[in-house]
Amino acid sequence: MGSQKAEIRLEELEAFLDEALPATRMREIEEAIRQDRNLAEQLRLIIQRRDSGAVSIAEVWRRHRLSCPTRETLGAYLLDTLPTEEARFVRVHLERVGCRYCLANLADLQSRMEASQEQKEAAQRRCLRYFRSSLHHLTHSGDP
Amino acid sequence: MLCDGGPTRQVFYPGKLRDITELTVRSCCQRHRRNYQSSAVVNRPEQSEQVFIERIRAKDPAAWEQLITIYEGRLLAFLEPRVEDRATAEDLVQETFTGFLRSLPHFDDSRSLEKWLFAIAANKLKDHLRRDRRVQSIEAGNEGYEFSQIPVAARARGPSTILDSRERRTKREALLVTILGEELDRLRQNDEWTRLACLELLFVGGFRNKEAAEILGISEQQVANWKHDFQSRLKRHLEAAREDGVTF
Repeated sequence: MGSQKAEIRLEELEAFLDEALPATRMREIEEAIRQDRNLAEQLRLIIQRRDSGAVSIAEVWRRHRLSCPTRETLGAYLLDTLPTEEARFVRVHLERVGCRYCLANLADLQSRMEASQEQKEAAQRRCLRYFRSSLHHLTHSGDP
Repeated sequence: MLCDGGPTRQVFYPGKLRDITELTVRSCCQRHRRNYQSSAVVNRPEQSEQVFIERIRAKDPAAWEQLITIYEGRLLAFLEPRVEDRATAEDLVQETFTGFLRSLPHFDDSRSLEKWLFAIAANKLKDHLRRDRRVQSIEAGNEGYEFSQIPVAARARGPSTILDSRERRTKREALLVTILGEELDRLRQNDEWTRLACLELLFVGGFRNKEAAEILGISEQQVANWKHDFQSRLKRHLEAAREDGVTF
């Protein structure tokens, strides 16, 4: 992704606004916006265009995850059991298009596959903490 | 592994069982592979997911605990690289879950649960970053520019105009989702993975024809042909929508 540093494409600015790019790319764009007034202006124009009711193909495609592989497909990608052409599509989707949602799913699948007993117990404790602290909201959800 | 009908047949998964299913059933048979390869799985919830939501709406603690077990890992993986702090990321996951419960009365069952959770997580993250120094320094460097700021032109308009714009945008977005979804489903059904990757590079990634050709190891002419065909098909869909009285 080294060549991407030199250029920030309009489609990436759209994704940047939606928190949809990988963390490293998000930081690069943040830094570039601080230094480049033209880029900040481009971003402002995108917001203005959205505000006036316009939508773009890039924005809709990414936000609605229209070409995201399923989690099952990502699992098969990890296990290297996908047909060659499909595996290349998944790789392009992850590494070139930089789908943050699929990268998160992939990282989660990988960490579950490789988790030690200690890590599994830590995950269970986390879940229990989330559960206990949200139980009140569950029992009152939908209440007026 | 014997094919059990794929993951769509299963109703509830404890975290571990779901992982095993996800990692093995994918290669069970071509028939089921095609079934859940469709974007319908991503864009529309499985029937089991709707049952799941109903149980949570009925305040079933077991269903709620299962939802947390299934989704917390991917939410944490979505948030942590961005905030670079484990404790903050965990707090944001917590806020995402409580945010989900608060939004439950308004949750549209036709939406994907995972997409909804990621959308809440992204909003919580943006709120966090807005409070963080990052946005303050961007503001300082660009004479008051702020990501969340509504542009001047929009603020000058009345509330009804803004509402009209939002409504127009929602309708346009729904139409594009339908059209694009149909086209991309067709490519998946035909196993046209290189073509799909090419279109994604061009229309989502913003890569030039030459760059897409290099990445995929195909000719620029092939890229140009696929791009032209895709644009023509989209145009035809939009014209048909106009004829049906849909304004775009």
